[in-house]
Amino acid sequence: MLTYILFMLVVGSIYALLAQSLMLSWGLAGLVNLGLAGFFAVGAYASAMLTTWEQAPILVGVFAAVLAGGFAGLLVCFSTLRLRDDYLAIVTLGFAEIVRIVASNEVWLTGGTDGISGVPVMIARDTGIWFHLGTLLITVAAVILVYVLQRRLLASPWGRALRAVREDQTVASVAGKSIVRFKAQAFSLAAAIAGLAGALYGHYTSYVAPDQFQPLITIYIFLAVTAGGNARPAGAVLGAYLLVAFLEATRFLAEIAPGVTALQAAALREIAVGIGLVFVLTLRPDGLLPERSQKAPAS
Amino acid sequence: MTDITRRHILGTGIAFASTVAMPAILRAQTGPIKLGTLTPLTGSGGSYGPAMADTVKKAADDINKAGGILGRQLLIISEDDQTSPEAGLRAARKLIDIDKVSAIIGTWASAVTTAVVPVCSQSGVFLSTVSGAEPITLLPHQGFLIRTQPTTTLQGTKFGEFALGANAKTVAFVSPQTPFTESQYAALTKTVTAAGGKTTSLIYDDKKTTLRTEVDQVLRGKPDAIVMGGYTNDTAVLVRDLYRANYRGSLFGFGYSVNKQLVDALPADVSEGIYTLSPSPAEGSNAYKNVARLLGVDSPDTYSCQVYDHLNLIAMAMAVGKGDTGTIIKDNVRKVSQGGGERVETAVDGLKLIADGKKVDYDGASGPCDFTDIGDITDAKFRYEQVKGGKIILLKIA
Repeated sequence: MLTYILFMLVVGSIYALLAQSLMLSWGLAGLVNLGLAGFFAVGAYASAMLTTWEQAPILVGVFAAVLAGGFAGLLVCFSTLRLRDDYLAIVTLGFAEIVRIVASNEVWLTGGTDGISGVPVMIARDTGIWFHLGTLLITVAAVILVYVLQRRLLASPWGRALRAVREDQTVASVAGKSIVRFKAQAFSLAAAIAGLAGALYGHYTSYVAPDQFQPLITIYIFLAVTAGGNARPAGAVLGAYLLVAFLEATRFLAEIAPGVTALQAAALREIAVGIGLVFVLTLRPDGLLPERSQKAPAS
Repeated sequence: MTDITRRHILGTGIAFASTVAMPAILRAQTGPIKLGTLTPLTGSGGSYGPAMADTVKKAADDINKAGGILGRQLLIISEDDQTSPEAGLRAARKLIDIDKVSAIIGTWASAVTTAVVPVCSQSGVFLSTVSGAEPITLLPHQGFLIRTQPTTTLQGTKFGEFALGANAKTVAFVSPQTPFTESQYAALTKTVTAAGGKTTSLIYDDKKTTLRTEVDQVLRGKPDAIVMGGYTNDTAVLVRDLYRANYRGSLFGFGYSVNKQLVDALPADVSEGIYTLSPSPAEGSNAYKNVARLLGVDSPDTYSCQVYDHLNLIAMAMAVGKGDTGTIIKDNVRKVSQGGGERVETAVDGLKLIADGKKVDYDGASGPCDFTDIGDITDAKFRYEQVKGGKIILLKIA
């Protein structure tokens, strides 16, 4: 029981990192990033390849994952400079699929669909409950670190300018802000956070394979961020933990539903996720923690 | 008032947490024995998983009706791995930590199995799988893993021999990228080139709705035979496009993809002549007939047969070891699967013999079910069939 809860909290923390990544690019910069799973994968692979095959220390792997994520973000951002909204969404979705397909097919580079097994873990596995507890502490620390960073950015002039870009690009550029620079910074930073999440995930489950990075995970995170509030770091974090709790709770609900076969239960769970989203959007269109409007400084 | 409530909650919480912290041995030794199935109910394996979960549940009912194991009933808990390692791992954790199952039956996709193996062996939970990818049994699993699916290398070799037998000189291997594509192609190539033929391979994306360009590319090499390595849905697309491109050579596919479902979905002249190969269920055996009866079909698929065998082996291993833990299953599974003794085909018969102190040797619905030290089956028969006039006709079993 305890292991299960700890495991889900770790998964929730990984989701919380992804949700903060999405909050930054989508909620604050207005860049619809459907490629989240791709950046997640880039981070996971970067760290797994370095630490498993090159025997690099985990810290180096995680650092490389953040860099690789950030670099991939920059690359995607510069190749999509002129795109907004739906068009950007399509291209970023394409990016995530490219990452997944390259990872499955370039066997010499990534190990193909076998994936990379035996990725080193952060806390030794034979320490029993400490393996989960220790990993949880590390991932929660990462969530808090990113959270504080985001709060700081949000309150800074950079954060205000970023929201100005989101609201109206033309106005922002008339005010002398470099749209491209702000977008690239935000997108790249967001991708780096997703890369961090990927590295931590790989070092917890000690297995990285292309199948883990299906578009479904991006959809889950969108659901989390929408539910929690897409322009508040606290909203994204709350949404992510709630999402994992909800996904797991449907498992037990489906089990106690009378006269339902395993197959029907599986289908009901997927329906529940959809209905959940509809409810949230109807009742709290801005999420549980909507964006606070910032007052201008007194003087 | 609020103070009392809070203390109350705290107290209950601590009591509860300490119950959890107790060694498993202090908790329930009575009540039902819990086993989990982890099969794909949704996602790309969704056409196989439901029947697998159903088979295990119904077979367990049979055992329960006959008195259960060591006087205890079996309780099967079915979870969905969504054909995804991420979701599969979450479901496995739930089965292990919440339901406290002693064994997990039926992981299907190789990636899911690879993700679940470390968790199972670390938690002392037995895992039985139908995944065929070569590296799975080489993972460090401390004996907590068996599989009934023949390895993909063996299947590749058989495909090569099969194609050579149909007088093919140039063989094209067309498959989506899966964990076993590479080893299968290597084995196929080895067999075909040894006989003086040659092979080519093409990897396609199994989510595409048309494979016309891929088909054109393959046909440029003028292959006498095409071996198809995909699953039902993408194989149907491939077969249709090959027909449209007027391909006249012979086609080979896996029995699990070129199945009744595929043949029914395509016009008879499109699927005419496809050869299929599958690990042979022991057709005619009582175990096989039992699976057919449980599912209410004439010819159950190989995966349902395999998970039926998993359940029977696990049930009898627990009876021999007189316990319900994964370690007991691990230590005793080979005592009921091989090594001589009275031949049995269902756990219901086997459990009676074990209760009388006799040694049993299980031969199941999927084959003789004898395992090597790392958990692979030692002997597998294959079933060769051909589609004729919209029906799948048996050629031979060897």
